Amino acid sequence: MALLEVHGLTKRFGGLVALRDVDLIIEESNIAALIGPNGAGKTTLFNILTGLYRADQGKIRFQSRSLSGSSPDQITRAGICRTFQNIRLFGEMTVLENVLVGMHSRIPLSLSDVLFRASRLRAEERQATAKAMELLGLVGLQGSEGVWARQLSYGEQRRLEVARALASQPRLLLLDEPSAGMNPSEAQVLMSLLRNLVGTHVRSILLIEHNMRVVMGISDRVTVLDHGEKIAEGTPDEVRIDARVIEAYLGRGKWAGHAQG
Amino acid sequence: MKNWFFNAGLAGYIGLTSLLVYSFPRSVSAFLLFEASLLLIYYAPLSRAAKLSFTAAVLIVLMPLLGTLDGYYLEVAIQIGIFVALALGLNIVVGFVGLLNLGFVAFYAIGAYLWAIFGSHQANAFLPGGYFPLGQAWFFVFLLLGIAAGALTGILLGLPVLRLRGDYLAIVTLGFAEVVRALVNNLDKPINLTNGPKGITPIQRPPLFFQPLVEFLGFKPDAAALYPLYFYFLVLILLLAIILVTRRLENSPVGRAWKAIREDEIAAVAMGVPVVWMKLLAFAVGASFAAAVGVLFAAKQVFINPESFTFMESIGVLAMVILGGMGSIPGAILGATVVTILNLQLLKGLSLWLNGLRQSGIILSLPLLGSFDLSQIPAQFEPAKYERMVFGLIIILMMIFRPQGFLPPRQGGSTKLTTGGDTGEK
Amino acid sequence: MDFSAGIFLQVLMDGVVLGFMYALIALGYTMVYGVLEFINFAHSEIFVIGAFVGAEILLGLESSGALATLHPAFVILVLLFAGMAVSGLAAMGLERVAYRPLRGAPRLVPLISAIGASFFLQDFVRLVESLWRNTFYLTYPTLDILEKNLSLGMGVEVPLKSFLVIATALAMLLGLYLFVNKTKLGTAIRAVAQDPDAAALMGIPVDRIISLTFFVGGAMGGAAGVLFGLHYSLINPYSGFGPGLKAFTAAVLGGIGNIPGAVLGGLVLGLMEALAASYLGILTDGAFGAEYKDVFAFAVLILILIFRPKGLLGEKVREEGA
Repeated sequence: MALLEVHGLTKRFGGLVALRDVDLIIEESNIAALIGPNGAGKTTLFNILTGLYRADQGKIRFQSRSLSGSSPDQITRAGICRTFQNIRLFGEMTVLENVLVGMHSRIPLSLSDVLFRASRLRAEERQATAKAMELLGLVGLQGSEGVWARQLSYGEQRRLEVARALASQPRLLLLDEPSAGMNPSEAQVLMSLLRNLVGTHVRSILLIEHNMRVVMGISDRVTVLDHGEKIAEGTPDEVRIDARVIEAYLGRGKWAGHAQG
Repeated sequence: MKNWFFNAGLAGYIGLTSLLVYSFPRSVSAFLLFEASLLLIYYAPLSRAAKLSFTAAVLIVLMPLLGTLDGYYLEVAIQIGIFVALALGLNIVVGFVGLLNLGFVAFYAIGAYLWAIFGSHQANAFLPGGYFPLGQAWFFVFLLLGIAAGALTGILLGLPVLRLRGDYLAIVTLGFAEVVRALVNNLDKPINLTNGPKGITPIQRPPLFFQPLVEFLGFKPDAAALYPLYFYFLVLILLLAIILVTRRLENSPVGRAWKAIREDEIAAVAMGVPVVWMKLLAFAVGASFAAAVGVLFAAKQVFINPESFTFMESIGVLAMVILGGMGSIPGAILGATVVTILNLQLLKGLSLWLNGLRQSGIILSLPLLGSFDLSQIPAQFEPAKYERMVFGLIIILMMIFRPQGFLPPRQGGSTKLTTGGDTGEK
Repeated sequence: MDFSAGIFLQVLMDGVVLGFMYALIALGYTMVYGVLEFINFAHSEIFVIGAFVGAEILLGLESSGALATLHPAFVILVLLFAGMAVSGLAAMGLERVAYRPLRGAPRLVPLISAIGASFFLQDFVRLVESLWRNTFYLTYPTLDILEKNLSLGMGVEVPLKSFLVIATALAMLLGLYLFVNKTKLGTAIRAVAQDPDAAALMGIPVDRIISLTFFVGGAMGGAAGVLFGLHYSLINPYSGFGPGLKAFTAAVLGGIGNIPGAVLGGLVLGLMEALAASYLGILTDGAFGAEYKDVFAFAVLILILIFRPKGLLGEKVREEGA
């Protein structure tokens, strides 16, 4: 049984068709990559999957349940969480608080517990903090929990976004260009981190990525979008030699193997 | 021992300034210095217990004592307390969640009119039976009703408008407050609900339920002397409750969700924060604080009319929050104190001083400029009437030079950084 | 009060006058919003400054005795030009001092600063007038010619001053239209409104164009101030709040950032307000009268923002950057 099934997804902005009849299946314990030239509709697909946009047509099933019409917080609770291409952290909150916000949907909340500082809530908060610290350790941010997120370096901010997304205990993690702006050795660290996440923290990962070394290095399956349509799908090796993919990239004067983010 | 040094220094400062206040009645500067002791306590590197005992000494012992000797100080302290409470309420909406509410005074008005109407003869105008004014004890019931009414109107206003962009939200809340004021002003017909521009008086004050105890202790105070003290402690208790509730909300998932919305609403949504609910909650909490203070205000003033609930009040409270630092509880307290003293005392003092100059008949002769008869200072020029200029200047200067305010939220101050052990509430 | 046709026409006329007044003020809000996406909350005080400039000149002419000898049309022209110039410059100065240092700050920061500026300017006008005249409630001296009535038949008498407002407003709107659409500077304004970064890349001096936008918007507000004084005669430093808020409503009603929209919005709001002031009492059998016309205007604002925030003609707002 696939973790996520998307059928016939279409999204229009005025006259522009951002996605046309896109199908996508993500299996359990998989790292899937979504690639394609700029403007291919990759981030739009993420925005629809997380409920920020509403699709004009199509079905989304996650763990055999329909997600059509769900609100973003319902989707997060159902187990899909994401990072953003242009980092969107809570700048004037501490690193730890950023991760704790990610846990919002996992902390049972009642107003009376908050107002009377119930021991139940205190215990939940203690657990949440411990969990958050563990996640910060996982992404290599231990020791920075007390500083404001906006004071972190670019690479650290990217990693904090991953930790924050993991905090919501997603089954499917969506990463929008996680290696953007990283040097090769940082990208290497990221790849091993992502490999370790599958099976331990998340069931599957779907990433948008321009860095082909990362895509080819860790993906089990690659889906290629161009002008809002799916033009190819398969293992990295299959996609690498697909004529339409090469054309989509070469048509814009980019070498598929060396395209960068 | 460093601690000993600080403790003694602080105690000395407090003692000295109280002496100053005592020996210079109605001196603005003496009172300001005295008030500043609270700031010193806040900043002093002392233990929590020491800070608490110093604060208690200042607020529970010294302030009432000085206030009994000179009722003027008590009046100022009560006014400051009222504005601190309002600023704390607005701080939740503007400071924590980042929603600019320009109509905050509407909720204050709703609380005030709620008690004014039923705690006076006014309700007889539209309800049969002549049950009004309600007995004094009902004041406490209406304090709770005020909280509920504030929360309810906050939600009713919030439901349709919270989806709007920030700047539109600001204008809509401003429009809402103007509508409320217009209604209060005009609902003396067809049914006389609010008595219109004439206002409502007399409004019941809370009962002196402790009077037998005071008399038993051998004092024979009259109500006129007791009520200022009574209101002072009522305001203090209300403030304490408000601060407690605010802190608990701030240091909970709710507070984190609020700040996340302020920092990046889209990211907050993506992290599973139910944004609309959280905004509604902030609107409701802020509004309920304001309405509770309104109930108290009506009882203290005995008389209210629509003049007390103008747009300027909303902006004044906003200036307080901005001056202190948006999103900071100590900031809101500082801002409210400074602005209220500025308004109540400094400007009035300046007006009196100018008046004195006018009557002195002194003629200034300045080289090159010729002589200037001080009695010629136009009578219309009264600094006390220039509140708007003060609010305006504060707001512009703060936005340009120090948008985070004077006591911005401390980094990591609201979250415990250790994983081990329960450190309890700070 | 009754439903007679004559009175109805009179009410319509009042509404149109009010509408053009709102439209002129609304232009200032809408142009600045178009360029900076920011509500210039202090624009209502720019309007008031224009009204005070007009009053001071008229009062000066009156006390020097020159008012009786000068041709009224000349006087009115002088008032309008002076009001426009001073208000325009004041708006430019305001932008320079209170808004430009905040460009690039979070959206609400300049708005808060503008609210502060609005309050500051109200009392600043009061301070100047208090020191200068020892009062800040001014009355426009009457220009006899404006008090004459023009009969339109069917018992409708229209004071000449209403025609003055309408004619001046139409002339200014036409001028603004030509300026924005047919001149190089107007094109530059439109370019900055479309995309400031691209405009800067094309060599347009964005800062100066923004200053110019404030000047033009402020000048329209100043003209509205002079017309307001001539028409309603009583002014004080706080006169701007109501008209300002309603003009902003008009701008939103038409679609903020949209110049023709501001005119349409102004007219619609002016007419609604005039009708409400005259007929609310009749329709509700005296329960709610003209005192609710402000409530009515704000209710319109709230309803539009909630149900049609893009306004009647659609607003021009840039897509938020990703």
